[in-house]
Amino acid sequence: MVDIMDSAFDALVASLVEGEREHCLALVGELIAKGRQPAEIVTDGIEVAMGALDRKCTAEQFNLLEIMLAGRAVMAVIHRLFPGDADLPNPRATVIAAVLEGDIHDIGKSILKILLTGAHIKVIDCGKDTPVAAVVKAAAESGAVAVCLTGLISSVIPLVRQVKPALGAAGLSHVKVLAGGAALKQCTADALAVDFVGQTAFDAVHYVGALLDGVYAGH
Amino acid sequence: MLAIERLQRTILRQSCDRPPVIPQIFAHAAKVAGRSVDDYLASAATAAECQLAAWRHYGLDAIFAVLDLTIEAESLGGTVIRHPGIYPAISDPPFTPDRDFSRLAPPDPATAGRMPAVVEMVARMRAGVGDAAAVIGLVQGPMTGAVQFVGMQRALFLAIDEPDRFVHLLDYATEVARSFGSAQLAAGADIVLVFDPAASPEIVPAGLFRELVGPRVAHLAASFKQAGAKANWLHIAGQTAAILPLYSSFGFDIGNVDYCVDLDTVLETLGEDSLCLDGNIKPLSFVTDSADSIRQTADALLARFDGRGGFILSSGCEIPPEAEEANVAALVAAARDWKKGRR
Repeated sequence: MVDIMDSAFDALVASLVEGEREHCLALVGELIAKGRQPAEIVTDGIEVAMGALDRKCTAEQFNLLEIMLAGRAVMAVIHRLFPGDADLPNPRATVIAAVLEGDIHDIGKSILKILLTGAHIKVIDCGKDTPVAAVVKAAAESGAVAVCLTGLISSVIPLVRQVKPALGAAGLSHVKVLAGGAALKQCTADALAVDFVGQTAFDAVHYVGALLDGVYAGH
Repeated sequence: MLAIERLQRTILRQSCDRPPVIPQIFAHAAKVAGRSVDDYLASAATAAECQLAAWRHYGLDAIFAVLDLTIEAESLGGTVIRHPGIYPAISDPPFTPDRDFSRLAPPDPATAGRMPAVVEMVARMRAGVGDAAAVIGLVQGPMTGAVQFVGMQRALFLAIDEPDRFVHLLDYATEVARSFGSAQLAAGADIVLVFDPAASPEIVPAGLFRELVGPRVAHLAASFKQAGAKANWLHIAGQTAAILPLYSSFGFDIGNVDYCVDLDTVLETLGEDSLCLDGNIKPLSFVTDSADSIRQTADALLARFDGRGGFILSSGCEIPPEAEEANVAALVAAARDWKKGRR
């Protein structure tokens, strides 16, 4: 029985990584019919699949299409397991994701949102073309542990530099600021006045995971 | 030696007085000319003046007849959002994925949107430089056109969910590029850069590029050669080492190498392939670094390609509009001072 269940989860993980949305939903239906709980499917299916996708996508082999397909399958499964709620229940933490004012390219943010959700982290999406003040407000209201900023164009860099001081002025200096995207990943963290710059969306997921595990606590 | 001759001899690996230097300067030309980015974007005449000012100021081998990257999508009815001081961006694409792209005709470059402004810009720049520098036009490549015409996420999902419809979309984007690029060549462009960052292996698998995008950029290259292009240039950003060896077979003479690409890998992968490379200094370093640093990096690049030849000194992608002029000047000086490159 255990072997059958293991293979059912293995099949779900493989199908999620391949982005086979309909097949994933069918497999989830079978698991539920066999009495598996949604929380198990998240832990033994979605989170394992996101780990496998992470290992597959190195900085040299980061493929947006494959990640988007896997992300679409993951979100479909989440919606099946928790109808009407875009987030997983009992998230490990809350993170803000935003594209700052002047930049409306948000595909990077969308990918990040999917990966963080798959890692059991609640994402408050501040959208694109977003003022710094709106990001700070969202962080204050949500108790977020981090703000993730993605940027495709270099003109947002001066705004990125404002986020950490603005959080500090609002009494949120403990909130980490992460940056990534085509323009921002060319910079160092010091140059952007942020805590971390990721080369891929997975780097941000690793950073937040380590933050929650206490690796970066207080620093 | 005339710049276009220098460029063509470099492509053919023949001896040159020095390596060509062609930084990707679009709206940075406005800063050189003492104009605003908004001025540059608003008028073909002003943009052409700015490009000519940049050519004179830096002593470039080529200048780019580029306003911004939303021309095609806007001409098809897409909505473009504008913020002061920065490039416009597409906020709503012109089509939904369910459109029958096999029945659409490309827009007329003589009348559609700002396409005539770009064609006018080419003509003004051609008249301004005569034969002293190359004039390079630009079209969105098939994959980038497809992404711009229906939106990134929709285009990528369409490729998987409805491959036949996606192929029609790619074909349509190719036809838009062919029509627009041909008009730029007729107006006096020497080369039309096929700009296809969405075809990067960071966006789509290399196999999709090879099987679906490749034949369509090959069609563009053949069409542009037939229309008088002096060379074909393919620009794809990001980690392109896996697909660069395909460019020559698709009819391209020049391929850019972005800053993040490992040159050892590229040179090993290319082997005896004759593809001329351009690159690959990090674009943001023209904003953040010193002129000395740019010079050192440029010298190192020129030394690295001294044995191979077939190299155009450039940035890995577009130089940001706010770049420091001294940094661009340092790049150009490195090529002009280079004495050893004789291939």
